[in-house]
Amino acid sequence: MKIFKKVSLLAAASLVAVTTLVGSVSAASNLSGKITVNGSTALLPLTLQAAKEFQKLNPKVKIAASGKGSVTGPQAVKKGIADIGACDWDASVDVPGFKAFDGQVANKVAVIPFATIVNKNVKVGNLTTEQLKGIYSGKITNWKEVGGDNADIVVITRAFGSGTRVNYQAKALAGGDIVKKDKNYKEVGSSGDMKTAVATTPNAIGYIDLVYVNSDVKAVSFNGVEPTTENVINGSYKIWAYGYYMTKGQPTGATKAFIDYVQSQKFQQGSLKKLKFIPISAMK
Amino acid sequence: MQPSRKNRFSRYMRARLANRLSAYYFLLSILALCFVLGLVIFFIGKTAMLTFKHISLADFFLSFNWTPEEDHYGAAAIIINTLSLTALTLIMAVPIAVGLAILIAEIAPKWIKNMMRPILDLLVGVPSIVYGYLGLTVLIPFLRRLSGENLGDGLLAAALVLALMVLPTICRISDEAISMVPKKYREAAYALGSTRLQVMLRVVIPAAGRGIIAAIIMGMTRAIGETMAVVMVIGNTAQLAKTLFTPASVLTSNIVMQISNVEFDSTWNYALHMMAFLLLAISFILILFIRYLGRKGSDKA
Repeated sequence: MKIFKKVSLLAAASLVAVTTLVGSVSAASNLSGKITVNGSTALLPLTLQAAKEFQKLNPKVKIAASGKGSVTGPQAVKKGIADIGACDWDASVDVPGFKAFDGQVANKVAVIPFATIVNKNVKVGNLTTEQLKGIYSGKITNWKEVGGDNADIVVITRAFGSGTRVNYQAKALAGGDIVKKDKNYKEVGSSGDMKTAVATTPNAIGYIDLVYVNSDVKAVSFNGVEPTTENVINGSYKIWAYGYYMTKGQPTGATKAFIDYVQSQKFQQGSLKKLKFIPISAMK
Repeated sequence: MQPSRKNRFSRYMRARLANRLSAYYFLLSILALCFVLGLVIFFIGKTAMLTFKHISLADFFLSFNWTPEEDHYGAAAIIINTLSLTALTLIMAVPIAVGLAILIAEIAPKWIKNMMRPILDLLVGVPSIVYGYLGLTVLIPFLRRLSGENLGDGLLAAALVLALMVLPTICRISDEAISMVPKKYREAAYALGSTRLQVMLRVVIPAAGRGIIAAIIMGMTRAIGETMAVVMVIGNTAQLAKTLFTPASVLTSNIVMQISNVEFDSTWNYALHMMAFLLLAISFILILFIRYLGRKGSDKA
């Protein structure tokens, strides 16, 4: 009982100390406002972490973040629902399937690497651009054509409009098509579903953010280069893309301060790296 | 204590007032509900109708080509898949569910009844995503081994998962309906020399028929509207399911897969709303059908 009392007293004392400390820190910043972030689920963990840290520094700024899908980011900005639209591609220019959002500015915030993954029973360890194009366009249907066992290739892909799919198609397939096939073709709704599907389906091939890859699936090399963070940074692994914060015109006020914070060396080299994204400064 | 005249009067007034107020309250609740429902139907319908500014009715309902990224919005294959998935589900679920209901209501000893009913009620409450995940991780690998297919996703997997989901619903409502059949019917039939099987098949089931049909329709509406479990096991490819193992798409799964990736003011978005409107219309027709059956039943009794 005595110990309990002591502990709670200590806790109360430290709470007071922390509050005054935070209070004194925040006295330095007079920035206030409300920032709404919407869009890509891939960038959401990054946004949430940055928001937490930024609000600690600027207690008068309220940040609300949600993720639903890349294209909802710039759309929400266009409709005025959100101040920042997180998007896995530069929505201020045309990409296949999506027109440019006029008047929006793309602010680079992170580098997202993607990987081709296969089920663990697949023997193939490397695929070239041509081979991937063949597989996704339906010309190559058997693993033996690319050096594997004699088994049908099961293609698992994200639904049209997914940011991962847009980037994968542009970088890994060099703009090639992903065609629907009669059989051995399946669409999944999210990165999590993609991993489960590839992990549980023999002879399956799919693609996913590199941060999701673990021992459940096998990540294959692309044109002979292993998908690792180092290879992305040294420029030999090509399947990666910038993550963007889209804003209506140049960002101002609290929004600008928040984007600056996310782009700052402190955040890029610290929390961003811990979340397994790659700092934008690492890319030349 | 003998209440005085005045006291009794005020009690009477109080009761009247309370009745009035509750009547108004309920009326208001009903109106609010109708208003919200009306708004939902109106807004979905309004957005849905915009589809036909860009494409013709025939394009939407008769074409099999659903590739919205290339401006083809043919929903025929998806509509047919929805109907065939529902039919397949009912073919699997209804005989088992009704059989089980007869077993529980008529044949089983009391301790089995007392055990089965709570279990079935509990199964109704399991979130559909759990069924979907079990389907994905247990059922599909099993079907793959059984059939030799590469994927295993398709109508059969979805129908099996749905059948498991709607079975407790159909079973419990049928069970209620069978239990409601008056005892005198059975006794009369026994008195005429019927066997137990004859009583069940010729007397009890026909008497509970409308209740059982209502149960089946309840199961059917759940099967049509179910999304999360279906998305996980059907394969999500917009094509006509020619075999039980062809990866396919139904209205619900197609909407949930695409709605978040679509621009607001696009034909694609409108077409998805049209699909939602279709689902709403189908459910509405089914519910009207239940009401119709219910009224007929009460007229007879």
